Amino acid sequence: MERLITGIEKLDAILGGGIPLYSINIVSGTPGSGKTILVQNIVFNCAKRGLKTLYLTTISESQFKIVRHLKEFDFFEDSLLENTFIYRDLGAVLRKEGWQKTLHHLDQLVKEHQPDIVVIDSFKAIRNLFPDEREFRAFVFDAAALLSIWEITVFLVGEYDEKELTSLSEFAIADGILHLYGTEEKRFQKRYLRILKMRGTSFEQGEHLFQITPSGIEIFPRIKPTDTELAYEVASEKRKSLGIPELDAMLSGGLKEGSITAISGGTGVGKTSFALSFLREGAEKGEKGLYLSFEEPVSQLKSNALSLGWDIEKYVADELINLKFVSPIELDVDKHIYEIFETIEKNRIKRFVMDSVTSFERSVVDLQKYKDYLWALIQHLKMKKVTSILILQNDDPFSALVVSKAPLSSLFDNIIILRYVEKQATIKRVLAVLKAKGASHSRDLREFEITSEGIKVLEKFDKADMLK
Amino acid sequence: MPEDLIAKIKQYEELLKETLKASEKYLGIISVKLLVERVKWDVSKEYREIEYLQYSEEGLSLQALVDNLKNTSDFPVNEMFKKFLARYVEILAKLVGEKEVKNIVKKLPVEELDNSFRGKR
Repeated sequence: MERLITGIEKLDAILGGGIPLYSINIVSGTPGSGKTILVQNIVFNCAKRGLKTLYLTTISESQFKIVRHLKEFDFFEDSLLENTFIYRDLGAVLRKEGWQKTLHHLDQLVKEHQPDIVVIDSFKAIRNLFPDEREFRAFVFDAAALLSIWEITVFLVGEYDEKELTSLSEFAIADGILHLYGTEEKRFQKRYLRILKMRGTSFEQGEHLFQITPSGIEIFPRIKPTDTELAYEVASEKRKSLGIPELDAMLSGGLKEGSITAISGGTGVGKTSFALSFLREGAEKGEKGLYLSFEEPVSQLKSNALSLGWDIEKYVADELINLKFVSPIELDVDKHIYEIFETIEKNRIKRFVMDSVTSFERSVVDLQKYKDYLWALIQHLKMKKVTSILILQNDDPFSALVVSKAPLSSLFDNIIILRYVEKQATIKRVLAVLKAKGASHSRDLREFEITSEGIKVLEKFDKADMLK
Repeated sequence: MPEDLIAKIKQYEELLKETLKASEKYLGIISVKLLVERVKWDVSKEYREIEYLQYSEEGLSLQALVDNLKNTSDFPVNEMFKKFLARYVEILAKLVGEKEVKNIVKKLPVEELDNSFRGKR
């Protein structure tokens, strides 16, 4: 199946390579949903490759306004206007001379310009100019047949809402339907694209987040767990040190390569310190690490490291440790998880820390979506053999050995619990390895200290009366 | 018009009827009609006489062409129909696929296809 490459990278990916050539596609959505910008981004990308677009306006935005708004985008090129991007009006003929003449006018325009792509914007707006549904349907059918014969890929842009998609006749004729809509999640206005239909090709179903930026449309495809069962390679016996010899020993030599470890504990107990030690150890061995923080800004993380006696500035400068902070206020799961994947891929990350999964959970309204994302993230990390630590915040820092409130334990290969213990005005910190899949591990509760010379894991904790 | 020219036109009439009939299987009658109109338009830039080709629900007829050329003794009938068929087949292949068009093309004498239309757009 030959395709029209949209040039919007991830859109082509979710369309299975692009839009089938000579297809009739409806781009629908309420006003302001981004339909016109999406189509214009596509056609300008095509125009730069020499494909000609005939852009026909009807009864919505005037040509001069369209061009004026287009100039704000990087994809726009003035030199393409009247060259491979041609604006013409269809609305006047339709209003004054009727639909039969309009079809003839369309035929003449096609013959004159011989476009590869035709856009009619807005298509829905011309519905009311037809005396009845039957005549409109005939027009749609004839126009579709005409344009297909001229080997034209068509985009019909219209302000349809979702319930109209199953009732109006043009949707039955269309080969493809791309529906754009917005929602409000927590503080964010979010835009989504769904491909409801695309004959002749497979496509990624579900809602895909997108943004409108000065570059044009940027798509963040829906993250979904893969269907194939992930085969965990127990065969790999490589171990990654946490940089804390005693803890490595408790784990029979460290974390298995590609494993996912949860470090759970209350506020201030030392989770960040353990995670920083893990990345620092990797950096010393030349392994690139990524610390994704939703809790502390980069400067604070560097300061935390310094307080432990580690100057990680040189590793940051050499990009052996990548510190990235995303404010919980600005955290948009749909977008950021995609960026995580890209960063891991691009920078060949071997060690990854997410601090914290709890912040991640709090930013997602839909609990099922959160679980899907977490599962997809973990699968991705395992497949890429990225040894990872995911930090879980325990609201009760003195609690017994609790991993988290949500049922997440089964997702992790290893679980390290950190907690406080206290008695008679003394607070101590203890750790335990609750789980280490595929390996024997120490079951001791060990006291630990965080000092200006790093983390010190002490002897087995024998003060049982300090445990709740 | 010489008798052999009329005979040639009649031959092409039969050939076109076969070709269009075979295309209907893939395109449907309406789209075949549209495609014929399109190709006529293309070819008419060089040979205006192709406009006399008539194709409707009643079928294809070149009688109007014969009538209009009756006072002509020398007309490049072969070249005109070569161009028509080559262009028709080229577009048809893009719309329905090369494989599907193979059977239709098999019936056309190779010399009827103009090499200038073989290149892709």
